[in-house]
Amino acid sequence: MNIEMTTQSTTDQTQVITRSDILTPVKLGFVSLTDSAPLIVAQRLGYFRQFNLDVTLCPQNSWSTLRDKLQTGLLDAAQLLAPMPLASSLGLGSMQVQMSVPMVLSQNGNAISLSPVLCHEILRNNALAELPFPMPASLLRQSIERRKKSGEVALRFATVFPYSCHQYQLIDWLKQSDLHNDVDIITIPPSEMSSSLESGLIDGFCVGGPWNAKSVREGTGITVLTSYNIWQDAAEKVLGTSYAFAEQHPETMAKLCAALLLSCEWLQFLPNRFEASKMMAESGYLPEPIDVIAPSLLGSCLTEQNATPQIVPNYNRFYFENALVVNAPTIEMQELLLNKMRETKQLPQDKFSADALQKILDNMVNKSCFESALALLAK
Amino acid sequence: MKRNDQRNQSAQVNNTKKLSILLIDDNESRSAQLISALKNSRYQVSHLLTSGASLLKKVDELKPDMVVIDIESPDRDILDSLHTLSSFNPKPIVMFSEQEDSETITRSIKSGVSAYVCGNADPKRVRAILDAALARFEDYQSVKQELADTKHELEAKKIIESAKRLLMQSRNMSENEAFHALRKMAMDTGQKLEDVAKTLISMLNTIK
Repeated sequence: MNIEMTTQSTTDQTQVITRSDILTPVKLGFVSLTDSAPLIVAQRLGYFRQFNLDVTLCPQNSWSTLRDKLQTGLLDAAQLLAPMPLASSLGLGSMQVQMSVPMVLSQNGNAISLSPVLCHEILRNNALAELPFPMPASLLRQSIERRKKSGEVALRFATVFPYSCHQYQLIDWLKQSDLHNDVDIITIPPSEMSSSLESGLIDGFCVGGPWNAKSVREGTGITVLTSYNIWQDAAEKVLGTSYAFAEQHPETMAKLCAALLLSCEWLQFLPNRFEASKMMAESGYLPEPIDVIAPSLLGSCLTEQNATPQIVPNYNRFYFENALVVNAPTIEMQELLLNKMRETKQLPQDKFSADALQKILDNMVNKSCFESALALLAK
Repeated sequence: MKRNDQRNQSAQVNNTKKLSILLIDDNESRSAQLISALKNSRYQVSHLLTSGASLLKKVDELKPDMVVIDIESPDRDILDSLHTLSSFNPKPIVMFSEQEDSETITRSIKSGVSAYVCGNADPKRVRAILDAALARFEDYQSVKQELADTKHELEAKKIIESAKRLLMQSRNMSENEAFHALRKMAMDTGQKLEDVAKTLISMLNTIK
């Protein structure tokens, strides 16, 4: 720490604080979920302070509001769904504001749950005694066909945001059985998922923790597979800021990355994961009981009330071996998401030229910030 | 289940060209003010308390021309996603205005209101409604801001006090000396007294 003491013999006994010691205030937005762990851990273990940052964690009630506040500078940086910075940079669903992504905060973490009513129907239709895990979407076929024939409304699934991995993972799962055009997909806040399954508004959902575990504990849902069974080790949440902020405050962003890398690394060890669950339950940011927060962090996928959980070691992944494996921002990841946006027709074919797209992607992948963070940690 | 109270506070129905507005806000006095500000025969305002997934049903029933929503409502993502569906297609106000008026957008987000426009509503009338909503939400925001400022001031005082106490204990200073030391550091670094105090506390606690 850059600290210098000058004790003068006179009454002017002063401790000198230099400009670089002053804490830099940062407003960091997020939506409270199990994989917000790196933020809450960094705050609790003093990692932000270690890099002279005075971080205020700003939980938001919706992804759209998080995006709008980040775009207009009411928040300095945020934990975002991996596709959100790209959607913002392309002006999909919002103003077009170029974003910058200096690091990936987590991989995996989502799961698909179905209502018990639909699960019983699947068992009956397919003459099964129990559902396989991971369940292939093909087992839905008869339920979908029956609804079509009888003129009933189609099966309805929910995700949390149109520009989310949840949305693309759900579609890809259905696509494996060529059923992606046969179900309705709507958006509902995660906290509403369990009650919406129970009320019959939806038949299933794809959402992150702790909401699958919560629905299983409450008996409203049965989890049939995790996102790891659809996309192995795909970026789920990223650190994002506006391109303008990243340009104006490169040091602050590097420090923020460094602090968050420390907590991601801390989170790779299983014993720490339980402590993280406890921190989150106690922090007030995620007011849910520890028995719904902890399982996914411990590699346990609850499937059905009172059933033995499935083992999914990478259910939530924050770090592996070194910072490069999980956390480095890459152009490949952005290209993958861009393709998903094209496949799902979120991005109109002719909206951008190839050159314009390339420039947007290049501006988004902030490798220099990530490297500065590694340099800070190497000190 | 959350409260789900719907009240139709419509003006008299006397022509078919009324612009219908769905207001989603569980701050009752704020919404009452907005409704009364918009209460003339040209608008028909339906008010809905934050209501979760049933919002979808309501939107489908009412097919409003415009939705005005508290930016802190968790239901915003439901509305935000509707532009991807063909049947209804409400666009966030930011995408509706042809000339992206970033100042209005920033103002509305700061004041805590967001709006969605559906179909081919007349931009001038939409603008009038947005202005009315902005004014009401800004009033409430400024009250909230004043409260936050007062709270912040009190906290800043507390932080400066504890920095002073820490200096007095660890450096054997008198209260006056501690305060002057803090003020000198603030002047030297061009920072607020409160920020210097925060840094000092964090340093002295690390060294201990």
